[in-house]
Amino acid sequence: MSWIKEGELNIIERISANVLKAGPMPKHVAFIMDGNRRFAHINNMERQDGHTQGFNKLAETLRWCKHLNIPEVTVYAFSIENFKRTQEEVDGLMDLARQKFERLLEERENLEKHGVCIRVLGDLNLLPLDLQQAIAKAVLATKNHNNDVSETLITECLYSNKSPNPDLLIRTSGEVRLSDFLLWQTSHSCLVFQSVLWPEYSFWNLCEAILQYQLNHKSIQKARELHREHQASLQLEADRLCTAEELQHHGNGKPTDAHTRQEALLHYITCREERVQNFLTALKHKRDLFFHDLCIEATTA
Amino acid sequence: MVMLYGLLWRLLLLLVHVNRALVSWLRVRLQSWKSRLWERAMASLLLPLALAGFPEQQKNPRLRYISDGMSLQKLPVHIGFLVTEEEPSYTDIANLVVWCMAVGISYISVYDNHDIFQKNHSRLLKEIERQQRHLMGGDGHPYNVEFLSNGSDKCHNGKKKSKVTLLQPLRRTLMTIPDPELVVKFGPVDSTLGFLPWHIRLTEFIFVPSHRDVSYKDLLGALKLYSSCQQRVGQ
Repeated sequence: MSWIKEGELNIIERISANVLKAGPMPKHVAFIMDGNRRFAHINNMERQDGHTQGFNKLAETLRWCKHLNIPEVTVYAFSIENFKRTQEEVDGLMDLARQKFERLLEERENLEKHGVCIRVLGDLNLLPLDLQQAIAKAVLATKNHNNDVSETLITECLYSNKSPNPDLLIRTSGEVRLSDFLLWQTSHSCLVFQSVLWPEYSFWNLCEAILQYQLNHKSIQKARELHREHQASLQLEADRLCTAEELQHHGNGKPTDAHTRQEALLHYITCREERVQNFLTALKHKRDLFFHDLCIEATTA
Repeated sequence: MVMLYGLLWRLLLLLVHVNRALVSWLRVRLQSWKSRLWERAMASLLLPLALAGFPEQQKNPRLRYISDGMSLQKLPVHIGFLVTEEEPSYTDIANLVVWCMAVGISYISVYDNHDIFQKNHSRLLKEIERQQRHLMGGDGHPYNVEFLSNGSDKCHNGKKKSKVTLLQPLRRTLMTIPDPELVVKFGPVDSTLGFLPWHIRLTEFIFVPSHRDVSYKDLLGALKLYSSCQQRVGQ
């Protein structure tokens, strides 16, 4: 089945979408797609079919997000903890992933038309090599599809470096935990826990979640601002301390005037920002190289 | 057309707010009605029992709390209270802390993203001691109460029976305090607002509309909910 379900919204859905869009909309939504196995159990299906249905639901959800002008979606597809499941289930999931990433390459033009840019976050080294290669090809192939975002990223340390933090995190199936998903990035996100199982997720469930986001928008914005200001003031304090220490070490014992201190502070801040930028550039280069190498290995194999 | 959708959106939000206010009002009404009914029933049924010397528990309230704690399938070792309401009530939080301690929870974290508790920790501490005397009859044992802030570096030591520490969330990783298994969130904001991001990977969240006038029953309800939840941890 395709990555993007084609089709427009029906009239009621379109009206509801327009009403919602009159308010603040999340720019980045994260989903914890929980409930595939419970769905399979309830409907007397194989677990694998539950996961396949889950993927189909993802395709449908991406379509809704596109209609709601939500430019970025992150999904929690598989966790390191999930390797603890039976070999049969893990293999089934890996096969599903293989199928879907290969399909993605076939649909490249369609994805380009819809401006879909795929990023895969996490420690890919834990996946089977051929899957890593398929992912690498998919990521590089869709790299430039989104004009707003110019970087693709995978990382072995902090995952979503240049990506904005999710505004809204939705977890289905009624569980009320984060299960290790984007813990740092969702500290000021709106969290919505819905009891519907993922394969049964509907457009109205998504609208409900967005409405929750809109109801919380002002208070969360305030909290984010407060947090940002606090972080900025902590950073400034730290910079001042470091500058004072440096001045002490390199100074000749005479007290420094305010002007010298200010200059030293600005210089220190500039150097620090440059170091951070160099580090990030090196990291990005390393990531890009990782994907390129995988692709080359795949073509020569 | 755009204006029309704008109006409809405002109407939608208004309807949701009205709905929430109504539900909350009904809940309060129902609770007070239920408790009055219960009091009357108890008065009429238990009077003879009271005369016969019924309440050993009333002499020692701690026994009741201990037995409640032991009756649960699982009890969190570390509980977090996340207050998203603007004006926190020290008495209610103090009550929660005392009840948690009585039920057998070892670590209690209290957090609000304006750092109100952290800035007024001595007031909270006094309130906790006062409520402890009031609820337990003066018989308490040492407990740990943490004040988590948005990143303050200050550390204060409390008095004889209580250990009060102010720690940065990151510094906490150096200590051997376990991650909170349960966080009870009070207030309308659906966010963790920066509460211990690295420590809540497997934390269950339970939502209580307000911490104002929160009762022991509310806390016990949350603990019961927690004890019945299943964590598959990826499996």
